[in-house]
Amino acid sequence: MREFGGVVSAVYGLIFLNLLRTLRAGESAYTAFVGMMRTPPILYVNLVLFVLLMWHAVTWFMLIGKAQPIQFTERPLSWKAVFGVNVLLWIGVSGAVVYLIFGGF
Amino acid sequence: MAEEIGSTRESLAYNPGRETVHADPKTGEPEVFLEPLLWGLFSLGGFITAFLFPITVFLLFLAPVFGLWPTDPAAYVTFAAHWREPLVRLFFFALIGGSLFHGTHRLKFMLVDAGLKGPGIEAALDIILNAVAIVGTLGALYYAVRGWLFV
Repeated sequence: MREFGGVVSAVYGLIFLNLLRTLRAGESAYTAFVGMMRTPPILYVNLVLFVLLMWHAVTWFMLIGKAQPIQFTERPLSWKAVFGVNVLLWIGVSGAVVYLIFGGF
Repeated sequence: MAEEIGSTRESLAYNPGRETVHADPKTGEPEVFLEPLLWGLFSLGGFITAFLFPITVFLLFLAPVFGLWPTDPAAYVTFAAHWREPLVRLFFFALIGGSLFHGTHRLKFMLVDAGLKGPGIEAALDIILNAVAIVGTLGALYYAVRGWLFV
């Protein structure tokens, strides 16, 4: 499922690419595309894909400490500690995205 | 040389993942260049995807619909205003490029695991999926710099 979440990210990459294309094409094209993305059938698909994206993110952070042990002391940090630090970073980065990219609330 | 360095630094009792690496290339073997580059882009894309995608998808496609956000970040006027900022353009370029290199690389190995094996098939998968990633990334770069560096 984690692997599928990675593939889902590429699907969203193409969706965002089309978002930029419609933005360039003008307001009507852009509004139509965003509206289509929010119609009930696609909205539910979006919800499922979002869950997969979240799963991919969480498992990615869990993997970091296991795949590449981080060693500051004699013993490397436990993967749980690395996971916790990454989740805190994730929250911080998400907050930064809200304010720097989307202009805050 | 590598062994000398390794023997002097391998004094820690518990040191997983830090075995001595023989960096000297064996003579006669072709230098591997593309494979590590693609794995590097896959890994970078994994970080970009994990850190940046959930909040972006949530804000653009989910939160306003369910009334979980006071504004609509995907509204044309709002998004077009933010799009003028170079940081926002860089953000979406990294988001699209990273996700495409990560996802297509992942898809290749999912398809190989599903049975699409053999040198010819894997080469075809490499060409098609990497072409999608490269063209998509160039497309994102084009939209990111258009209207900013040129009209």
